[in-house]
Amino acid sequence: MTVNSQVLDYIVSEENFSDKAVIIKEGNMGDWVYVILEGRVKIKKKTSGGLLTIDTLSEGDFVGEMAMLKWSNSTRTASAVADGPVVLGVLDSVRLGQEWEAQPTIIKKVISSLIQNLEEATKKAADMVVALR
Amino acid sequence: MTKTKGEISPVVKLNYSKGDLIIKEGDYGTSIYEVISGKVGIFVESGETEVRVAILGPGMVVGEMAFIAGKTSTRSASARAIEDCCLEAWHPAMLLNAYKKMPDVLRLIAGQALKLVVRMNKMVVELRLKEGQSRDSQTQELSDQWEEKREFYRKKVSLECIFRPVNSSKDLEFQGRIRNISNGGLQMTVKTSGLFNYTLTHGDELFISTYFLLNQKANMTAKITWLKKGKTDGFISLGMIFIHMDPDDRKKLGFFLMK
Repeated sequence: MTVNSQVLDYIVSEENFSDKAVIIKEGNMGDWVYVILEGRVKIKKKTSGGLLTIDTLSEGDFVGEMAMLKWSNSTRTASAVADGPVVLGVLDSVRLGQEWEAQPTIIKKVISSLIQNLEEATKKAADMVVALR
Repeated sequence: MTKTKGEISPVVKLNYSKGDLIIKEGDYGTSIYEVISGKVGIFVESGETEVRVAILGPGMVVGEMAFIAGKTSTRSASARAIEDCCLEAWHPAMLLNAYKKMPDVLRLIAGQALKLVVRMNKMVVELRLKEGQSRDSQTQELSDQWEEKREFYRKKVSLECIFRPVNSSKDLEFQGRIRNISNGGLQMTVKTSGLFNYTLTHGDELFISTYFLLNQKANMTAKITWLKKGKTDGFISLGMIFIHMDPDDRKKLGFFLMK
């Protein structure tokens, strides 16, 4: 997958991460969003028994979008860790935030609901993995 | 909720009794429902059984996934009343125009979240079926050194600034954006088109001014320690160490410098 040209327009800076570097840590505050320009990123969820890899993202995918679209707060829902060297583009958080806020309430409600489902499904999967150990 | 004048109301209230099916997995349909009262369970079919992946209560939205995925996709899960409930059904047309007008980026982000929800629900179903079996191979040990490199709430650092090379004439002036700042230095991004034909190099000393909250101004002198040309055309990223900053300015920027 390549990076969408519309997305490239939002990039304000680039950051490099080496293998296994922590890009986002679960529980921290922050709502900026990255797009992967090169490399792979693993999304990991904390469980009482260890970390559960829930997804592996590659070029063109977003990292950190959940905190941005959440209704409630900007706490990171999962961690993102570099899987090999990674180049990320940081999206203009001010512009994205303004565009998101400008959406009709009903749209925000629908998408926030999707994100809430995602959080719950992720948490459930994480809990079940532990229960199975 | 606003109603459209002169048209059939796009909103319909529906009542379901405990056990009623509201949405059937595999069906085509893009209506969206909001739970007004009662509880709705979301179930995914697996062979002969149904696995419950979520319970939704008042204020929550049901059926948004097929809408976001587009009209050609089928319902990824079933919804069933797990107690008597009242739902408000929204006609998708009510949302479609607004959704189409959304910036591509937001739609792409929503699309990615959707893919992950489907994946997570699938994982829950698989795990449910596997219950009783031995440990899962997807977990690994937590490490104590597991720390995010960034030590501050980064979002706050996005300061417009103007700068000029220390040894240049005063009327030369460029614009940049400070993306990162610490006690020792800063990181700045500059649009190359804004530099005209001027070339910045390693070791250059820059005089930088930035304005922030309440028209406060801070000046600093910093030296370029690294330059990166982005893969994204049109931007360079500069890493700099401070050479000089007045104690007063340092105090003003204290909020950003704190760890």
